[in-house]
Amino acid sequence: MLSPSSGIGRFSTKSAKVIRFVRKGCTNRPFFHIVVAERRREQFEPVIEQLGSYDPLPNENNEKLVSLNLERIRFWMGNGALVSKPVEQLLGLAGFLPIHPTSYMVAWRNRKAAEKEAEKKESDANSAS
Amino acid sequence: MISYQNLQSVRWRRKPIWMPTAKSKLYRIPVKPVIPEEEKEEIKRLYNNYRTYIKSIRRFLTYKHSVLLMAKSDTEQLKKAFDEDFMRCKEINDKWNEDLKKLREERVAKQLQEEIEFAKNRMANLIKQKEQKLAEAEEIVRKEKQMVGTFITPENLDEVIEKALSNPVDYNFAIDLEGNRIIGRETKPEEQVSVKQ
Repeated sequence: MLSPSSGIGRFSTKSAKVIRFVRKGCTNRPFFHIVVAERRREQFEPVIEQLGSYDPLPNENNEKLVSLNLERIRFWMGNGALVSKPVEQLLGLAGFLPIHPTSYMVAWRNRKAAEKEAEKKESDANSAS
Repeated sequence: MISYQNLQSVRWRRKPIWMPTAKSKLYRIPVKPVIPEEEKEEIKRLYNNYRTYIKSIRRFLTYKHSVLLMAKSDTEQLKKAFDEDFMRCKEINDKWNEDLKKLREERVAKQLQEEIEFAKNRMANLIKQKEQKLAEAEEIVRKEKQMVGTFITPENLDEVIEKALSNPVDYNFAIDLEGNRIIGRETKPEEQVSVKQ
């Protein structure tokens, strides 16, 4: 028997499809498959096709590993599949789609927070000396 | 039957949704995030741009990969299929037309014959009627001719009056018990005695 990620999900031609994550880790160890599935299906039902994987925890070389089947993603997007927001963000960072606005937002907020931190540190150092 | 081979158990960290709010969180009021106006504008602009990009990418991919569109846009194949279908339909239609033509011609010929016959009958009837009328008229004329001798004219008026006066006609009559007519006002029954008996 094939595993659910092998693309054994049944689907109709005209139903809405979506490219999204399926969580395949265990407690405290997230790991995601990027799959195309019918939009109305639940997360852990058999999918139409797996299009990649995403490991959000950095490995020993401080890398977050992503694999994408871009050809099939193109095909499914061309055939009207929607893309969920987290996958859009990931594809934006991968350079396949334009960078998602939320990515910019997160970046500038982090930047601002870092600046504030630095200023605070500086002022603390000045007052101490 | 459900196959359990494909099921993967997932251990959830959250508490189930039907559990009540924790006592320690009961009166907590979540702080609303305050987003400055400039940032709002920026986010709006970014989202507008992003949507436009995605739309164009999506359109490009659709033109390149869409199965439905390809099936639709393969014009040569479509035209060929259409022509084949059209020829097949035309053959059937031609056959029907031929059959119908035969039937129609037969029907028209028959109808024409009937109409000719009808017209002939009508003509014969008309002639017959005319002849009949002529015969009737001739009969009348003949009778009139016979009557000509008895007409009263100014020449023989006196004569006729004389004749009428000299021959009075009595139309009165009586009926006796046996049903015999006794003509005339003044005439007496001849066998009065026998009746009395």
